[in-house]
Amino acid sequence: MQTFANRHVAWLAALASLAAAIGGACTGSRLLDMAAMAFALGGVWSLLRRRAARNAVQVPENGPVAERDEPSPPAALDSDDLDSFVDGMLARHRYALLLRRQLVSNLTEEQYARARDLLEENMALVPAGSVSLTPTDRGSEDDDEDDDAGRVVKHVNALFLDRYPVTNLQYREFVEAGGYEQMSIWEPAIWTAVLDFVDATGMPGPRFWKHGRYPRGEEDFPVVGVCWYEACAYARWTGKRLPTEPEWVKAGSWPVPLSDRRQWQRRFPWGDTMDRERCNLWGSGPGKVVAVGEFSSGVSVGGVYQLIGNVWEWTTGNFGGPDRAGRELTLPTPMKSIRGGAFDTYFENQATCHFQSGETPLARKHNIGFRCALSLCDVATPTRGDEPVESAVDEAETQTPAGEGVEI
Amino acid sequence: MIKEGAMPMDSYRLAQYAVQIPCYICGVDNTYDAELCRQCYAPMALAHQAATQKIAPRMVATIGASSVGKTVYLGMLMDMLSRQPDRLQMLARGAFSISLQQATASALARGEFPAKTPTEPERWNWVHAQLKMAGHKQPLELIMPDMAGEALLEELDHPHTYDVIHPLLSKCFGVLVLVDTVKLQSGSLDQDYFTMKLLSYLAELDDHPKRGWANRPIGFVLTKADECEECFADPAAFAQSRAPGVWRQCRERFRVHRFFAVSVAGGCAYRNSREGRVRVPLRIEPRGLIEPFEWLVKQR
Repeated sequence: MQTFANRHVAWLAALASLAAAIGGACTGSRLLDMAAMAFALGGVWSLLRRRAARNAVQVPENGPVAERDEPSPPAALDSDDLDSFVDGMLARHRYALLLRRQLVSNLTEEQYARARDLLEENMALVPAGSVSLTPTDRGSEDDDEDDDAGRVVKHVNALFLDRYPVTNLQYREFVEAGGYEQMSIWEPAIWTAVLDFVDATGMPGPRFWKHGRYPRGEEDFPVVGVCWYEACAYARWTGKRLPTEPEWVKAGSWPVPLSDRRQWQRRFPWGDTMDRERCNLWGSGPGKVVAVGEFSSGVSVGGVYQLIGNVWEWTTGNFGGPDRAGRELTLPTPMKSIRGGAFDTYFENQATCHFQSGETPLARKHNIGFRCALSLCDVATPTRGDEPVESAVDEAETQTPAGEGVEI
Repeated sequence: MIKEGAMPMDSYRLAQYAVQIPCYICGVDNTYDAELCRQCYAPMALAHQAATQKIAPRMVATIGASSVGKTVYLGMLMDMLSRQPDRLQMLARGAFSISLQQATASALARGEFPAKTPTEPERWNWVHAQLKMAGHKQPLELIMPDMAGEALLEELDHPHTYDVIHPLLSKCFGVLVLVDTVKLQSGSLDQDYFTMKLLSYLAELDDHPKRGWANRPIGFVLTKADECEECFADPAAFAQSRAPGVWRQCRERFRVHRFFAVSVAGGCAYRNSREGRVRVPLRIEPRGLIEPFEWLVKQR
């Protein structure tokens, strides 16, 4: 167990060296790290400011005014401040941020265990491997390039993917924590537009909320009415990111290698045949968005729910290129890729793991939500007990019970 | 030696020709084996079904400018009502009645919009269907043609160019007037002018104080509203601001009317083809399609 002094010094050391510390060997997401860390730094600085303000108030009333107005030196955080800071982050589902390499060594064992438990409870492991982004009923070439048949096969590194789409309740934590005012988590190119990301009453928040609140009784519904940039900002705030297209497809289609150059992957998370009782599409559900826990029989092999139906999900990929028949599309505006279909998707062939549609990144539609991803290599590697994470992943790849999440 | 045999007496066949069957739309007499009316080119199956089943189908028209989305609206509406019996259930009468929804749904599932409806009435798709409504014992027999926008425009400018349009619209108990939201939003007034022409035409078709068009229901359907969310929030307000001529004419001339917003595609892109730049749907998410139709048939 670390002493308070050690923890304090370590926290400040980790946070003060953020700018230089960005750029881990395997992240490949400098901007994400920078933003996430900057926000963490902002959290600690606000604590310091509060502490400084408290000290200022404690100045005797008869003291000189000038003395009171002088800025006090930042006071040291006490253990309660640090614990409450970590507790707050865990309560707001920001465990991924705490599990970053730069910060994890500063957690107590108990805090680390809680963060890991939250990770395993809320995110499913998607093992590394190749995935075909184009529908196929035969094997796919295990090649990282476009093959002759027009099929696109990509390699995916192991990652964690949210088991459920981000809910209204989770997103409210972001809104209430001032997520729309923390410019460090928004892409600089979009700063001028953030003021326009308001709800029906002009408050910061998703488009269909009112007075900064989601509709009554919809706390477990996926958040909709958020544009791609809002989804990215939320993901950064939690220390995560949006999934790439290959990652999303791999989580749903769960490819199974049949040989060195062939693999089989399913059209839907549950198999190759559409079963409308497993997903919320047009004609199979109530005709509106439902809670993320419903249609649980449509879970993927890895334990990811509602990949198909209910709401489309933003991914990081750009939409464009040729359509399904190989004909080039011209987009009216640049678009981001969305996947999975929604409650109002009419045709089954547009609600498969491979179907891709697009939407302008500023669109805040009633049927587009998102879920977050986290690269396995971005999660700190300290072991749980004596078991290294890598060996746990190997174990997970060989034990994939249907309908159950893979534990690491 | 006497040989016996059976020979058909052609005179009996010829006798059937003597009985003329009036077209259900224009009333012109046709021979019993005519497939299309010789005058208006409406399918004679409509008349045969009405006669043999002793029913009197009522008519609803879906009208609007060219490329406003009449075929997509009607085809998808048919498909939705036949696939998901909820408040309304539609059962097609005759194989010809399924052609429209088949062509529309197939094209949309392929990621294309259906081909443009030809201007020639003999190539139009007609739908004769039985509509069952929750709370109503008697089903409603309906006839709905998929008319070409160019033909409507030609008829407005030069009446009686198409023999089918005048009698059809005269007999309709209500119409759905489709207006292109995207064009309205872009500031183009063409939709406003065209729709005003249509309304004037309807008003002059039948000005009977009770049975005339002033008292028949007219649903204004703002199509392609997926590209304009504010249209969904308040279609009437959108029409008032973007199609002021239509909005004012409705208030003055038609007592039973309502504005609706609908969309079929969730997003669109363009593809270059031999015909030029073609609009294609990125995904199909029908929204608000049933409401205008349901409102209309409940006004009968």
